[in-house]
This record gives sequence, structure tokens and C-alpha cells, in this order.
Amino acid sequence: MRNIVIAPLAPIRISVEAEILSPDIFAPLSLEQICGLDVWQGNRKRRISDLFRVVGDEGPVKPEETALRLEGDFSRVKRIAEGMTAGTVDVTGSVGMHAGNNMKGGRLRILGNADDWLGREMRGGSIIVEGNAGNYAGAGYRGERCGMRGGEIEIRGNAGAYLGEHLCGGNIRVAGNAGDFPGAANQGGTIFIGGSCHLPGAEMTKGAIIVNGKAKVLPGYQKLEIVTIGGEKYQKYAGDLVENGKGELFIQAGSS
Amino acid sequence: MIIRGGIVYDPANGIFGEEMDICIDGGRIVEDAKGEVIDARGLLVMPGGVDAHTHIAGKKMNTGRIMRPDDSRLGTEPRSGVCRPSTGYTVPNCYAMGYRYARMGYTTAFEAATPIIEARHTHEELEEIPILDKGALTLFGNNWEVMECVHDKDIAKLAAYVAWGLRAARGYGIKIVNPGGGEAWGFGSNVKGLYDPVPNFDVTPAEIIHALAEANEMLRLPHSIHLHFNNLGKPGNYTTALETLEALKDIKPSRMRQAVHVTHMQFSAYGGTSWRDFESKASVIADYLNRHDHATMDMGQLLFGAATTMTADAPLEYGNARLTHNKWSNHDIELEESSGVVPMVYLRKMLVNAVQWAIGLELALLTEDPWKVLMTTDSPNGSPFVNYPEVIALLMSKPKRDSEMATLHAELSKRTSLGGIEREMDWSEIAIMTRAAPARILGLEDKGHLGLGADGDVSIYNLSPEEVDASKEHATVKKALATAKYTIKSGIVVCKDGEIIATPRGKTYWVDAAALQADMDRLMVDLRDKFERYYSVQMSNYAVQDVYVTNPKVIKAGLGAEPLKEVA
Repeated sequence: MRNIVIAPLAPIRISVEAEILSPDIFAPLSLEQICGLDVWQGNRKRRISDLFRVVGDEGPVKPEETALRLEGDFSRVKRIAEGMTAGTVDVTGSVGMHAGNNMKGGRLRILGNADDWLGREMRGGSIIVEGNAGNYAGAGYRGERCGMRGGEIEIRGNAGAYLGEHLCGGNIRVAGNAGDFPGAANQGGTIFIGGSCHLPGAEMTKGAIIVNGKAKVLPGYQKLEIVTIGGEKYQKYAGDLVENGKGELFIQAGSS
Repeated sequence: MIIRGGIVYDPANGIFGEEMDICIDGGRIVEDAKGEVIDARGLLVMPGGVDAHTHIAGKKMNTGRIMRPDDSRLGTEPRSGVCRPSTGYTVPNCYAMGYRYARMGYTTAFEAATPIIEARHTHEELEEIPILDKGALTLFGNNWEVMECVHDKDIAKLAAYVAWGLRAARGYGIKIVNPGGGEAWGFGSNVKGLYDPVPNFDVTPAEIIHALAEANEMLRLPHSIHLHFNNLGKPGNYTTALETLEALKDIKPSRMRQAVHVTHMQFSAYGGTSWRDFESKASVIADYLNRHDHATMDMGQLLFGAATTMTADAPLEYGNARLTHNKWSNHDIELEESSGVVPMVYLRKMLVNAVQWAIGLELALLTEDPWKVLMTTDSPNGSPFVNYPEVIALLMSKPKRDSEMATLHAELSKRTSLGGIEREMDWSEIAIMTRAAPARILGLEDKGHLGLGADGDVSIYNLSPEEVDASKEHATVKKALATAKYTIKSGIVVCKDGEIIATPRGKTYWVDAAALQADMDRLMVDLRDKFERYYSVQMSNYAVQDVYVTNPKVIKAGLGAEPLKEVA
């Protein structure tokens, strides 16, 4: 495994567009070449070495043999691990918007929090967030018909609003609460929410949403029987009938 | 400017692949010129491309942009050199329209559908499209005043209204979309055929079409009526197509051109009774066109991948929206039209889409005379215009068609005759379908050819027509057509090796037709009443002012006008 460690030289105040912070881009390059890559900070073009300290093993290797470690606060660094296909990225702090978007494989692990649009339109691989995630985790970007299509997102804290909007596949697991409208327009993915949420599954046509806590259910859902999943009892609903949907919604029995 | 040694295809002047020099001076083709020499030795040289039917400007294009931020992301190109930023793939921004057409060697494009009341918006966008010469066809097929004139059988007043409407819209010609259907849609229904009366107006689509064709010829307009059939996009609609063409046989064109141009015929050549037994009737349509000379058509080729359907046929778009469960827009345009926009993805694995793909090609290949069928994709309805090189490569190469068909549904060969068609088009036929014929059909005398006095619009491709076998080397053909070696617009090199290097402003064509004052006076009585009672705007604020068309090319027509010069 080739280990590369990247850390900000100074706290980053102006947002950086860093879609190049990905094993696919770094794997075939030497450390010197990596230092010379361009990133945009605000409206200025900078080199990686202007903003970050880069240390680690020399390459080239294949992407799947690359382990990227981002040390420090990356909460103003956007698009980390965009489109990555293999390898691992570990972030010790928080990340900015669009982390892991369009990801196709590999593993992204964030020890802090993730901002909005985490893993949007993701196709494969896995994302683990130890803290909280912002809005639109696993969703489709503006106008897009499909959000996440495959892979896994695990959020050990809470998630924001519109979790997995336009989901077309894959799994999302949130240990804590989710915000408004999780799984809106779900077309085939599954979402598990450990805590509570508000109005899950609006316009859902396929797929499933399981809520372990409380949730207000939309009037477009038909109440069915009580079912047992993994030893827990859940009230099952079918919908969203507004869209003639065949989605399944499970809410912790007795919680609402 | 002298273009030296190119292999020139200029079918309008009877030149089919001759090595010759082309001289341009003062923006026009001349006998002899000095100045810049462009080395085109052995390369394919044609007049600048002319697109007679495309959607490039106006409110529905903008609605497409607004509802598709996802599409905007597909085609972003940063600002560079002389170019402003581009966005979008099926619904690009205004700048991208100009750059992308020019990159393919096109220099002229006509927006296909504008209601009069929305014409100002269309012109505001046309003004922002760089490089291209352009024009906009004006919608008349569902207009209240039109239907009232038709009901009264008052063709003279109808002609006066058309003349007035073209002037108000700064429009180029008469576009008719699902006549009567758009009006019926205002009441939640559609017309089901050519003889199905329009609610509240007691006229039939057949009467509307025929009367507008008569008015068109009374005004001696450069273009014929430009018709989008009733029942478009429905299985079994080829009978409507044939019926409509048959009903227009007695129209006598006022100049040497067709009496009717049928647009995106692919969407109107469907057999079967439902999508289950959906099949191609392209051979029947092509056969009709082979036997009759009063009609021309464009392909409306469909290609697999993303598209955005946009049309004044609102009930059709409502059907599309229900079919795809996609986002959609529908619009009722006061006394004039209705319209709709729905994003679409055409899939290889869908048999219906595969049959549609085959129908467009069949229409072009089975129609013997290339002057009768234009190469279009009804951009962006069948596919965005940037994919024209793919269509041309398919027309020129049987092996390419075969290898495409091998990837499609096995049932396809039973539903179409495409597999059995051996014809491969040559460069003369392609030059006709993309240059000479669209210019003649639109009545643009300075376009689509390289005779003396023609506009100095030339495209040069990095391909030797004498050495490249288009049948086998279709990938080379496609690549060469996608990025012209040179695109020359009015004597200025605008594109070199696919890179835009100059962005001169193009002209906007519109037709100023004269009608009899007595008819105009009678018409004004009707119109004043309509504006007072129904329109949301004052009559005085309705017409497009000249400030919105800053580089106009006005073509005179009408009753008092001199007979128009014939197109070469």
C-alpha cells in the first residue's frame, strides 16, 4: 500500500475545489508531480503545494494500492474523492460539500462531519462518516433524475434534509436522526434511519425506508400490517400512492 | 480570400466533386479575389451548412434550460479566446448554439416554431447567437384569427393576417403544428384526425392547413407552409400523413419549390395500432414522395441517448410526460398556441426507440431524390444537433448501419426494412441534404451554393473525398464532419481545426409581405376587438420592434411584390 498524507499548511478560509484529491489521480504520479497539480481556491488557481503539505511513499502504483490520509480540517475543501474508483481516503477532520460525489468504488472514511451533497449520484464503493452529514446526502444534484445508484453510505451521527433524494439504488444507513423528506422520490434504494425523521418517502415509487424512531407519515401512504424485522416490530406502509408507488415504509411500531 | 484546390461539392450549380478554387470578396463568392489563401488541396469543400428545422431560441428552449440544470452540466466549456462560456448538451446556451454549429461547418440555422406573442423573446436569443445567419418560423396553426378566417372561407383576410403576423413576429414563414389540436387542448382534448372539428370554431385541421397553404401562395412567400402533422408521435399515424399530403395536391406553388414542407417525418411514419405492434411505415411515405412532387420533408432522425422534446404540440407532450414519468412543462399561449417540454432518453434496448431510429434512416434512404429530404434531428427532439455527423455517417455507410443494428433488439428487422437497404449516400447527396436542398426549400437564394454572388459561407473538412471510402471509414467521416478544418462565414474564417477563432454577428432573415389595404382594414377591425377583449397585452406593444432585430435581412414578398428570383 502506498500511503500519502496531506495536511493544510494553514487554516483554509476560502473554499478550495479539490476534485483531484482522489486515489485515481494520485496513484500514477510521483510526490513532486502531486505537489504541482492545480486546484482552484475561490477564483485563483493554486498549486497543491501552495495550500497543503504532501508527504508519503513514492509511486507510481495502481489506484487500489493507494491510501490517502487527509489530516486536519478540510471543511472548506469541496469535492474530495470525486469519482474515485478504488483505494481508500481517510479524513481525520471534517469535509466540505460534494465529498465522494459520483464515487464508483473504494472507501471514503470521514472522522468528522460531512457537508451537503455527500456521495451524491454515487455508483459504488462505501462512505463512512463518524459525525453528522449535511443535507442531500446520496441525493441527485439539481435537476438530476437519479441520485445514488449503488454502494453504501453509513452516517454514524445525524443526517440533514432530503437524505437520499431521487435514490435509484444502494444503501444508506443513518444511526441518528434524519431531517425533512428522507428518501423523497426514492426509485429503488434502501434507507435505514436509527432515530426519527419527518415525512419520509414523498413520491417514493420503489425501494424501502425503515425508521427506528418516530416519523410523521404522509397521507399518500396506505397503512398495512405490523411486521417484524430483526426482532423489532414495525408498522408497514405502502406508497407513495400519489405516484402510484410500490415503495415500502416501515416505522417503529408504537412510536407514532 | 482564395480557397485553393479543394474538391468542391456544389450541387445547386451542378458541381459534384470537382477540383477548383473558390474566391470570396466583400463577404460574397466572386470570380476572382486577392488576399488570404487557404490551402484546401484535396480536401472536401462544400457551401456552409443550412439547417432548415431546429430549435435554437425562444421560450420553450429557455423552459428546457430552466427545467434541466442537469443538462446544463453536461456541456460546460470555459471561456476561451474569443468564445464566451458554453453550457448544456440538449439545451445549450445561446453562445454554444453558434459555436457548435460553426464547428460542424454550419453557417445558417432556422428556429422552427415561434408564436407571435413570444417572438420578442426568440429574437432576443437569436441576437445572442454568434456567427450564424438565422430566422424564425411563425406559428399560425391554432390561432383564433386564422381559424375564424378559415371558417369564413376568407382567404384574402387570412393572407392579410399572415402578412401582419409575420411582420409583428419578424418571422420568416408559416409554421403549422398539430392544427386545431393545440386549441382543442385548451379544453382538455385533441383533434383525432384531419376531419375532426376543432371545438368552438367549426373548422377542421384539413381546412386550416389548406387555407394557410393558399394564403402562403397568395403572398408568394419564399418558403412553403412548414407542417407538423396531426397525430404526430402516435402508432398508425402514417395514414394521417398520407391523407394530409393528398389534401394538398391541388395547391399551386407561387414559385419553383414545394407546396408543403413536412417536418420531422420520422415522427409521422408509424404503423401498428399500439406501441406493442409498433412498426415502420417509412417505405409507404417514401414511396408517396417518390411519386409526387408537391412535398418535401426532413428526417427528424432519432439517435440513442439524451434529448429534450419541445414542441407546440402540447397534448403530445402531455402524453410523453405520462409515459416517461419525467418532469414536464405545458403552456397555453393566449389566442395562438399551446406548447410543452419533456426531457427524454432514447434507449437502445427499447424496441420502440430502435424502430424510431430506423424509420428516420429508411425515409432518407428510400426517397430517391435527395432534394426532397433534409437531414435533421429536429434538434433537440430526436437528438441535439451536435450529432449530425453520426446521422451522415449512418447514411453513407451500410456496414455502420449493420453494426448498429446488431446491437439492437432482435425483433427490429421484422418491424423495419432498414436491414435490406443497400443504398449508401455519396458526398453529392449529403451536400444536397445539408446545404443545397434546405436553402432551396426555405427559398434562401444566397445560401447553400457557391455560385457567383452567393454568400461567402464555405466549409472545408479534413477529409479527402477521393481517397476516403465513406462506407468502410465511417469513423473518419464522422470525426471530420464533427470538427471542420475551416468554417468560413461571409468571407471570415470563424473556425479552424474545430477551434472558434472569430465570432462575427449573423443576419436575421424575416419576410415582409404586402397584402391589399382593404383586406388589412377588415382585419384590423377583428384584431382590435381581440386585443381589447382577450389579449394580455396592448396591440401597440405586441409587435417586435426593430431594436430587437439589429441586423435584419428583409425579404420582400406579397401581392405587390415583384415575382421572386428563383433559387438556383
